[in-house]
Amino acid sequence: MIDERPPAVVPPHRARRRGRSRSDVLLGVWGVLVLLFLFLPIAVIVVYSFNSGRLLTSWGGAGFQAYTAGLSRPVIRAAVVTSLQAAAGAALLSAVIGSLAALALARVGGRWAAALTLLLGLTLVTPEIVDAISLLGWFVSLDTEAGLPLFGDGLARLVVAHSVLSTAVVAFIVRARVAGLDTRLEEAAADLYATPWGRFRDVTLPLAAPGVLAGGLMAFTLSLDNTIVASFVALPGATPWPVYVFSSLRAGLRPEIAAVSTLLLLLTLVSLAVVAFVLRRSGDSASGIARTMAGG
Amino acid sequence: MIRRLRTPHGALALPAWVFLLGFFVAPVALVVWYSFGYKPGLFGTHANDVLSLDRYGQALSGTFVRTFWNTLRIAVVGTLICLVVALPFAYWLAVKVPPRRRGLVLALVMVPFWTNFLVRTLGWQIALSPQGPFSTAWQALGGDPFDVLYTRGAVQLGVVYNYLPLMLLPLYVALERTSHALREASRDLGAGRWRTFTDVTLPLAFPGIASGSLLVFVPLMGDYVTATVLGGARGNMVGQLVAGQFQTAQDWALGSAMAVVLVLLTGGTVLLTALGVLLVRRVRRARRHVEVVR
Repeated sequence: MIDERPPAVVPPHRARRRGRSRSDVLLGVWGVLVLLFLFLPIAVIVVYSFNSGRLLTSWGGAGFQAYTAGLSRPVIRAAVVTSLQAAAGAALLSAVIGSLAALALARVGGRWAAALTLLLGLTLVTPEIVDAISLLGWFVSLDTEAGLPLFGDGLARLVVAHSVLSTAVVAFIVRARVAGLDTRLEEAAADLYATPWGRFRDVTLPLAAPGVLAGGLMAFTLSLDNTIVASFVALPGATPWPVYVFSSLRAGLRPEIAAVSTLLLLLTLVSLAVVAFVLRRSGDSASGIARTMAGG
Repeated sequence: MIRRLRTPHGALALPAWVFLLGFFVAPVALVVWYSFGYKPGLFGTHANDVLSLDRYGQALSGTFVRTFWNTLRIAVVGTLICLVVALPFAYWLAVKVPPRRRGLVLALVMVPFWTNFLVRTLGWQIALSPQGPFSTAWQALGGDPFDVLYTRGAVQLGVVYNYLPLMLLPLYVALERTSHALREASRDLGAGRWRTFTDVTLPLAFPGIASGSLLVFVPLMGDYVTATVLGGARGNMVGQLVAGQFQTAQDWALGSAMAVVLVLLTGGTVLLTALGVLLVRRVRRARRHVEVVR
């Protein structure tokens, strides 16, 4: 529809108020509806974690039984502990490898940097099922044929597999951060006779730290969340939480699953809040944080 | 005078190269190698002493092709629905929501995105189940119990839900970068709201649309969790078929061939779509002409 009034005559603030028209209201309603849609299943899980019935899907009255039962069952506790250990390991491994790669990418251009960026990008767009089956075959070969018993260990497998998925995320977050840094700071340190290591420790690392922390926490949540790759590479005795949930689909879901999931959701929220806080303090805008958290 | 830094910065990338070559490139190469082999007898998973393309012939027969078309349909429809749902939302968030409150709304979008994928899908399973809260309420109002769980509709809903944030975030980032001044200029030049949206805002949002569609479409093609939780055990998506070859049938050769075909066809679809879109854009740009109304 064409605006009949000459726009130049309308002062900007008046124009904005008039802009609160029907289409704006519709957009607002749509926005709220989408948010409700996004939260619906999460709300259902949280509510059903207080289900005291025997089966998750049929409500049998409210109560805290699922929490006490879930936290006291050894299988569930073992699964959660495995998940947390794997997530911590993957966060550490991918934070180290990814951050070093990011420093290289930000400081050295050229063909090698482009090739590494491409490789990292490929790990991001490869369907997870492909990562899953290829790592399964590879781990089995390394364990049985190459005689590396490390890859017969369930936890080591999970840490390595999850790091493959999150190294690129860490690298891109840290690169974005380091690329914005002034290289003159490092040059000044060099002029003042700092050794390469001293320069790295006292100048580059502190400046890159918020990115490294954000990337590491992101890797932690990605690992905690991972179902597909984990369900292929996991070994009996080191079953992570999502794999336990996925395998109990057939046996019938119990409310304990919702209860423990709610607790893990709280953990994820806390670590995300820390990421947002760290990025905000280091001066990122809301959209910069969104970009970071979308993984690229 | 500034001294040139003599740091072996390139060496810092060494761990990443070693790690990715060792645990990404080599394993994928192994899968390609397996795909030329065969399953030796009942108890073996793979053997490569005789190489052939037979597994590919097997993979491209009946079930796989039917499942692939089904997957492609779910993925294409899912990507389009995500785009249609996300575009007004991202526009609202980037343009209409006051900047002070934008961070809060973004955080609200982020929370479901970072909630466990499987757990969110289970939430839908409860919500859609015939004994679930909504079905019970509907029955109290005199309706029939829900009969959506384990249908294609449920899978479609589930994938739209699970991948929506991956569309929302890049669209928001792209729209947020477009400047208000351009839209105002368009209005000042006499374009209506709709015309401003289609001729100014939408082209500026194009990078976001492209990367959002890619981020939704590619993982969706390989997804099998959503289909298993909401669509039941009947294999409806290629990811389930591939997983079944490894976890149930123990035929790694055929599973590998299916995975390779999946990657090639997905990549091919993305390339064809990209070419098509570029062509349309070029034609549109060539045919666009400016009329000055006096």
